[in-house]
Amino acid sequence: MNGTLAITRYTLLELSRRRLLLVFAIIGVLGIALLGIGLRILYGLITSNPSRGGFGDTRLSTDQLNKIIETLFVSELFSALSIFALLIAFGIGMTAIYHDLDSGAAVSIFSKPVSRLAFATGKVIAAVAVLVAIVGVLALESRFVMFLFGGGLENELWLEVLAIVANSVVAMLIVLALSTWVNNIVAAVIAFVYIIVVEGVVSYIHTLTDQGVINNDIVKYVFDGLYWLVPHQLSSSAIRDVALASAQLQTQGGGPGPGAGVPPASGAGDIVWWAFTVLFFAVLVYYSVRRRQV
Amino acid sequence: MAPVVSVKDLRKRYRRNDPWAVDGVSFELEPGQAFGLLGPNGAGKSTVVKVIAGLIRPDGGSVSLFGLDPGNPAARVELGFSPEDPDFPKFLRAGEVLDYFASLLGLDDTERKRRIPETLAFAGLDQERRQVRQFSKGMKQRLGIAQAILGRPKLLILDEPTADLDPLGRRDVRALIDRLKESGVAILLNSHLLSEVELVCDTVAIMAKGHVLKEGTMAEVVPEGRNLEDVFVELIQGSGPKRDDLPSFISDEGNKP
Repeated sequence: MNGTLAITRYTLLELSRRRLLLVFAIIGVLGIALLGIGLRILYGLITSNPSRGGFGDTRLSTDQLNKIIETLFVSELFSALSIFALLIAFGIGMTAIYHDLDSGAAVSIFSKPVSRLAFATGKVIAAVAVLVAIVGVLALESRFVMFLFGGGLENELWLEVLAIVANSVVAMLIVLALSTWVNNIVAAVIAFVYIIVVEGVVSYIHTLTDQGVINNDIVKYVFDGLYWLVPHQLSSSAIRDVALASAQLQTQGGGPGPGAGVPPASGAGDIVWWAFTVLFFAVLVYYSVRRRQV
Repeated sequence: MAPVVSVKDLRKRYRRNDPWAVDGVSFELEPGQAFGLLGPNGAGKSTVVKVIAGLIRPDGGSVSLFGLDPGNPAARVELGFSPEDPDFPKFLRAGEVLDYFASLLGLDDTERKRRIPETLAFAGLDQERRQVRQFSKGMKQRLGIAQAILGRPKLLILDEPTADLDPLGRRDVRALIDRLKESGVAILLNSHLLSEVELVCDTVAIMAKGHVLKEGTMAEVVPEGRNLEDVFVELIQGSGPKRDDLPSFISDEGNKP
């Protein structure tokens, strides 16, 4: 237990001094601030223009326009938070264990009376804590920026942040495990291909076969199987809520009706699968550290 | 008296088709004994000490450290290990590295407060405020020795401990080894500096290509009137094909422009 705590404590200290993570965090903070302020300025320009338009022939009230700008901000915010969280997850995953192994620091650490399990556990705890802390700061900032628009979608923000952190933890564990076997840049590339390309394609085709867009039985069976070999991206009800809120406002303004194809929130099955993948990749991190000869 | 380290017929290779890095090495180390492990580059000395320190697994034979498997963390409680080319978490300062390792050793707050400043002072790093990534090789070597003695080990393994040290640093390490030997600490020293080994070690083993060529007390290995370097060169040259001393373009007088 002492070993795990010591590894966690000093990994936290090390990660807090890494410039790469600091740069990602600063870019995230500035990006969210610029997004909010930019949309607010845009809103100001539209409301100051007496000939401001609406959807179709109907002009929007100030409240409706305010709400649309907020929903636009929140949906852009979700995308930005996902990207920054993934970047930070990769940044932590590439460095938390790899630098100790690559520099030779692990030789001195492993010659002390500390087990590989304590080492892997301490590293994972510290990595998750830093990820949660940085994404938490970005989420808090987002919450404050939402005040610029009057608020009303706060619950959606917190739910989506939870989903983003959950997805990023899986990505980070994959990079952590791979970086004990191969160079950390190679590990990041493999993880990127697996998480973004393979998982993305498999999930997309699986959705199409589920919805009956693709009717080929062989494709359906193959992708039903492959779907359970990749992590599933969790999503909250927030994206759907925001899309529906936006569509509702646009309909009031004479715009198009609620759009189809908005993904629903992840169900219990997806959450159980997420927990399994986290456990699986955490065990893989431990196994990789245990097998590693330094 | 139970040996601190017992190595029996140790074998290790890094890949299936590689030659054995260590092949059939056996020796024991008693408390208070200073044992020198000598050999040319690639002889397998560092592999032996890494197996003893629990860093790599043997492929054959057996190794016990304080009567336990070195892979068991409990076996390493009284081990101090200063690796060759030591390195540390690069964003930490020297004091933080020692505090980190003191935590891994399970030292309480009182002991940490007492030992860390004294150890830093011994290593000449007490005034150093930079992070490890800005340290020179010599400073890392000093920190490597400092972390190795922090837990007051009963076995101290020093792998090329003076390679990057200045003459004063070397003298300090020699004095440290003498002092620890007197207090009953067993020392396992890997070094290319044969004069240094001759000064501090009671017993030596000379290795080449994974085998021990000669082992015994210093008096047994080095006959009277000779020195360790002569014996070492003779054994190593006798164990392999004869090499030309210099490239022909340097040794051939007739080719001078």
